[in-house]
Amino acid sequence: MGVRRLARDAVLTAVALTVFVVELQIPELVPIPGVKLGLANIVTLVTLFTLGPWDALAVLMARILLGALFAGNVMALLYSLTGGLLAFAVMTLMRKILTNRQIWVASVFAAMAHNVGQIGAAILVAGTPELLVYLPVLLVSGIVTGLFTGLAGQYAAGWLGKNLRKTDGK
Amino acid sequence: MWIIIILIILLISLAAAAFLWLRPATGERAEIWVDGELVRSVDLSKIQEPERFTVETDRGVNVILAEPGRIRVESADCPDKVCVDAGWLSDSAAPIVCLPHRLVIRLSGDASLDTEVG
Repeated sequence: MGVRRLARDAVLTAVALTVFVVELQIPELVPIPGVKLGLANIVTLVTLFTLGPWDALAVLMARILLGALFAGNVMALLYSLTGGLLAFAVMTLMRKILTNRQIWVASVFAAMAHNVGQIGAAILVAGTPELLVYLPVLLVSGIVTGLFTGLAGQYAAGWLGKNLRKTDGK
Repeated sequence: MWIIIILIILLISLAAAAFLWLRPATGERAEIWVDGELVRSVDLSKIQEPERFTVETDRGVNVILAEPGRIRVESADCPDKVCVDAGWLSDSAAPIVCLPHRLVIRLSGDASLDTEVG
């Protein structure tokens, strides 16, 4: 990994972590585990759609691992890791069939994949199939928050894309 | 086209959520599960006085308060406090969940079984 790329991805990770930590300060709106805005996903979206999957994966993994440490909630790491990677896989696959004006679609589906992965991991780990009743609620919240972060990411990618790609030195 | 797909999923989820959450629970018996195992069972219809008890695991402590017809997690030392914020469980099919402690409180059918395990 070149120095330019390393520095650029480190800056993106720092931005994602900052957003993540700021979001932690927002009080929970509904007492349902797993419902949150997921603002840090904006950074993943922008990275994926402007720089490609490998940079996005690096930024995502660094953010999830460091974020769990910053939040002091390492136990939740497994859930966010499963959800995060599943969402990333969905986004990466959808990137091939979407235009730059449809980034929000990838975000909505990624948010839903995140919720499915998260709850699936929770059910397996905790042995609590009761959690399945949360899935429809989580999907609704995922669609709404995914739309919001997706549109934010789409505009951000539009503005930042050119400059971000320049850092490749090409 | 994408909007239609997303709207369909949204509608199905909304319908499923409404069905699951508004459906009245079948029983008066509250079951407390930890790690997939039933640790305690309280018949909420037979309780006269508020009853407070602690469920302690190696992951942490939940203080549970049972009153006639309803039950809640009063306090917990988990990081997110989602279980405490969930409030009273009285007639909902949606359980109270404390994911960090792998604790689930749910209402269950057969009220004649009033057991105390562990």
